[in-house]
Amino acid sequence: MSRLLRKTGSILARLLSRKGSALALLFLSAVTFAAIFANFLPLDPFGQKLVNALKGPSATNWFGTDELGRDILARVVYGARTSLLTAAGAVAIAALAGVPIGLVAGFFGGWRDAALMRLVDVLLALPAILFAMAMIAVLGRSQAAALIAVGITGIPSFARITRAQVLTLRKRDFVTAVEAFGGSATYNMFRTILPNSWSPIFVQVVVLCSVAILLEAALSFLGVGVPPPTPSWGEMLRTGKSYLHEAPYYAVLPGLVLTLTILSFDVLGRALSDILQGRRDVDVVAKAGEASS
Amino acid sequence: MIGFVVRRLLQLVPVLLLASTGIWAMIYAVPGGPIAAIAGDNASPEQIAAATAQFGLDRPVLVQYADWLWNALRGDFGISIRGRAPVLELIGQRLPATLQLAVAATIVSLVIGIPVAIASALRPGSWIDRLLSGWSALALGVPTFWLGILLILLFAVELRWLPSASGYVPFWENPLGALRNLALPALTLGVYVSGILARFLRASLVNELQADYVRTARSKGLPERQIVGVHVLRNALLPFVTIVGLMMANFIGGAVVTEAVFTYPGIGRLLIQAITTRDYPLIQGCIVVILVLYIAINLAVDVLYAYIDPRIDYR
Repeated sequence: MSRLLRKTGSILARLLSRKGSALALLFLSAVTFAAIFANFLPLDPFGQKLVNALKGPSATNWFGTDELGRDILARVVYGARTSLLTAAGAVAIAALAGVPIGLVAGFFGGWRDAALMRLVDVLLALPAILFAMAMIAVLGRSQAAALIAVGITGIPSFARITRAQVLTLRKRDFVTAVEAFGGSATYNMFRTILPNSWSPIFVQVVVLCSVAILLEAALSFLGVGVPPPTPSWGEMLRTGKSYLHEAPYYAVLPGLVLTLTILSFDVLGRALSDILQGRRDVDVVAKAGEASS
Repeated sequence: MIGFVVRRLLQLVPVLLLASTGIWAMIYAVPGGPIAAIAGDNASPEQIAAATAQFGLDRPVLVQYADWLWNALRGDFGISIRGRAPVLELIGQRLPATLQLAVAATIVSLVIGIPVAIASALRPGSWIDRLLSGWSALALGVPTFWLGILLILLFAVELRWLPSASGYVPFWENPLGALRNLALPALTLGVYVSGILARFLRASLVNELQADYVRTARSKGLPERQIVGVHVLRNALLPFVTIVGLMMANFIGGAVVTEAVFTYPGIGRLLIQAITTRDYPLIQGCIVVILVLYIAINLAVDVLYAYIDPRIDYR
């Protein structure tokens, strides 16, 4: 445990020693803090005051007010909760399903590999946003549906990364040694190979957070994501777009927070990939396939 | 070559079959099924029974599936529940708009992406390299719908140069009108993709510039312009073809968001309408058509790639 703490500490120190990733970490900490403790902040995302509708940024409403006179800053803060929660849940689903798929496919090879990876290919056959929309068409519109849909689209990336990692470790001596001592396949996969595969999986968790936040916002922007009145960044951009002439800040400011969040996760993902694996470029193509255009 | 194409086509059959089965099954797995959508929420039991019989939903599931698959193979995806028109006809009306946007966006992304990649690859680590790589990170990180809104604010609301909502104007009928309508959505999509293209091309250019043939060319005194322009670029562009193809394929279905920002009448918007009105035959049709186009473009890229790169063995 103390070893893990020390390792986390050293990674954190290295992240903070770079200007870009330190800024990203600072911004994400602020957003996360605000999202968690939103209830304790003097912000009310639901209070409507129609006389106050579409007022520009002021001392009382820093980000201005929306068409119902609600405080936009409050809705951005509570929207962070929606975004981060959906992203965390989606990444958890993707990792919990994708990592075992990659482990089994890479470890056993043969028909299990072929069958599992073909299934993953089918998931990749459709752009993520379309797949998520089709899922929501079936499940109905809710936060849980958005979370599940975004999560499923993330499974292939975890499966592929884990499988690639297993393939490089599979023939290594320490794995053969465990086999020779009679360690079961399950033991070997989860206790020998998996602990040695954390780095790329962890990088993927961070990268997928940015993809998941983007996808959730895109779904809400299209009007099929988290249903109102729950504040969500994508939904705010969707409504704000109707008031571009009267209240340009309405779509611009929430969009800025969304963009900074996504960029921060990207910067963090690249820095981590550099620190943990000595690679600067995260798999751009894999990411491109998932992001929505 | 023909054998290669045929084999690749055959490999597609299971993927398509599995995917279409998935699409079909997903919709029929809905509690209440498509009937609730067809008959409406307040339908009486008689109306539900009538609709069930009318759409053949009282037959065994396997028969329904075989029937759907057989009709789909012949291009018949049924009648749209809301639009009361054949699904394929509705899709056919939107397809040219989507293709035109895809081509325009690809051109924009190449025009931005290639010079950026060359400029930064020639001096790796320099200030211009860092500036441009920051720019491609930005292009990738900024959500297309926010970028689209910013562009509308600037060019439509402030400057009033371009329309804020883009219609479909066929390029060959009215080139200027088409460009006016395409400019903002194509720029939005193109900027995003140029970030991916620039990163990818830069990496492969840097790689090529270290190759032995470049040293030979330099030592025999070839001008740098010729080395990069003729030899390096040609080799570096090979893997690039795959990425461009992948992006184009993505535009076909993946431009949903951009189409929504600019209320552009493409397939993406048709699909959103279908989903919000629970028009199941239309949803199925749209997804299958997008899937087939997506796979077809990927296949075309594979074949093209095998054709332009003699090192690839396509036996």
